[in-house]
Amino acid sequence: MGYSPLQRSAEPSQERAPQLRAMVTDDQASVVSKTSYHRYVPWMVIGVIVVLWWVVSALHIFPRLALPSPGRVTRDAYVIATTGYNGYSLLDNIGASVTRIAVGFVAAIIVGVPIGFGMASSKIVFNAVDPLLQFLRPIPPLAYIPVMVIWFGVGQLSKFVLIFVCTIPIIIINAMSGAKNVQETRIRVAQVFGADRRQLFRYVILPSALPEIFTGMRVAIGVAWTCLVAAEMIAAQTGLGAIILTAGNELRMGVVFVGIILIGVIGYLMELFIRTVEQRMIPWKGKA
Amino acid sequence: MIELHGVSKVFPAPNARSEPVMAVSKVDMTIEDGEFVTVVGPSGCGKTTILNMIAGFERPSQGDILLDGEPVLKPGPERAVVFQQPSLLPWMTVVDNIAFGLTLREGKRGVDRTRLDGTLETMGLKNFASHYPYQLSGGMQQRAAIARALITDPAILLMDEPFGALDAQTRSDMQRFLLLVWTELQHTVLFVTHDVEEAILLADRVLIMSPRPGRIAATIRITLARPRHWDMVMDRDFNDYKRKVMKVLRPQ
Ligand SMILES: Nc1ncnc2c1ncn2[C@@H]1O[C@H](COP(=O)(O)OP(=O)(O)OP(=O)(O)O)[C@@H](O)[C@H]1O
Ligand SMILES: [Mg+2]
Repeated sequence: MGYSPLQRSAEPSQERAPQLRAMVTDDQASVVSKTSYHRYVPWMVIGVIVVLWWVVSALHIFPRLALPSPGRVTRDAYVIATTGYNGYSLLDNIGASVTRIAVGFVAAIIVGVPIGFGMASSKIVFNAVDPLLQFLRPIPPLAYIPVMVIWFGVGQLSKFVLIFVCTIPIIIINAMSGAKNVQETRIRVAQVFGADRRQLFRYVILPSALPEIFTGMRVAIGVAWTCLVAAEMIAAQTGLGAIILTAGNELRMGVVFVGIILIGVIGYLMELFIRTVEQRMIPWKGKA
Repeated sequence: MIELHGVSKVFPAPNARSEPVMAVSKVDMTIEDGEFVTVVGPSGCGKTTILNMIAGFERPSQGDILLDGEPVLKPGPERAVVFQQPSLLPWMTVVDNIAFGLTLREGKRGVDRTRLDGTLETMGLKNFASHYPYQLSGGMQQRAAIARALITDPAILLMDEPFGALDAQTRSDMQRFLLLVWTELQHTVLFVTHDVEEAILLADRVLIMSPRPGRIAATIRITLARPRHWDMVMDRDFNDYKRKVMKVLRPQ
């Protein structure tokens, strides 16, 4: 448009960019507290817990068998890290668990998100899937184990399927609710400019649903880990769940603790990973 | 040409204890091609409702809306809308938002970059092209939404209080800019506002609505010379129009 520019709406000059850059503050931080101590809070909490743990175990309040000392757990961790467990190295064990979770979880996303969108856009799909979904949801993962073993054997497949079955309802429900709660004005914007169904989906519905899909993924990844121990009860040779179970049977509580801590740490790392991807993909989350 | 014949809109009651709302009652109006029509009226009198029906978002409960003789059944790209609420898509940068209509029509690669850059420059958004809407002020967001509508060269422009969020100076700049674009392209404009001076300054015709149920209480043809300047606001003729409009809006 070749019209005279708006004189008054001129943009602020960007000349002093370096100075400005230095003035940028972390808004999120300043809302929480004036200082940046909050960064150290998680480490402080961990430190306090370890100290308490050490004190309680040194006082022998509980039998040594029930509560191993931090030193004992560290030594067991060292042994497992260097010589492995059950005849498999620690990395193999971690890899086995992470693979099971990754396969089941990713499959749940690939299958669940389209089903959720289908349920949001079609009454028929909703009525077909919803009863099944609500029926499956309250069943605890342990209850599936006999069925999984008989249907899918004692190999990897039954473990993948178990994690898939436990996480997919969460993914479906969040994808559906995300696709349903699109702001009407945004749909209208697309309609005004003549969007067809495909474009409406790609430019409006899918991005609108992303925040809720991510919320679903974050809940589901936690659930996946809780199912993992159940999955690895199915005659698993490897995996963190398997380590915990065998060590528990052998009354080696130090090893059990190592397994628990590892599951917690890896679960937390996965959550952080999803959070990072989320911030990359939807920087506008919560701001619009 | 846009025609409304006996158009009424009743919204269903939200619950059993309340009554259905008659938002608009038996409205007749005709807007000629290339005409600039403004609508003023108190809050809640049905201005947005009328605009939404012409845009094709909602169907009248009674009566007909015709566009060049054809009934309006759904939204269409010949009727661009500037919404009253913020309406930029938060997941797109400012430049992608402005190009949205073009992208839908011509595909990502079909968008005319030079034209887009020109629009960004004109709207004072050049340095904010790759910002996200949440990083813009309310007025800047509104300017981007106006740019998004204008860049598609619509035959009809439906604007719902587009300058409501702007300061007096920017508002006056935007009015001047809109009139320039309109003089050039001669599209039909239906412009909702509750600023009486803005309504008179821009319009060929001012429609004044009465409170619920919304009706057209009066139509005033504005014969002030064009091009219009903001300082016309102080002219005798202008004040005569203003008095007329005020009389309808606030009888006694
Ligand atoms: N979707 C809806 N459902 C029920 N009632 C509605 C709906 N939309 C509007 N109304 C009612 O219709 C009446 C007119 O609303 P409308 O939004 O058209 O007013 P307006 O003239 O645009 O007001 P404002 O100047 O405040 O924007 C109001 O009483 C409102 O409560
Ligand atoms: Mg309104």
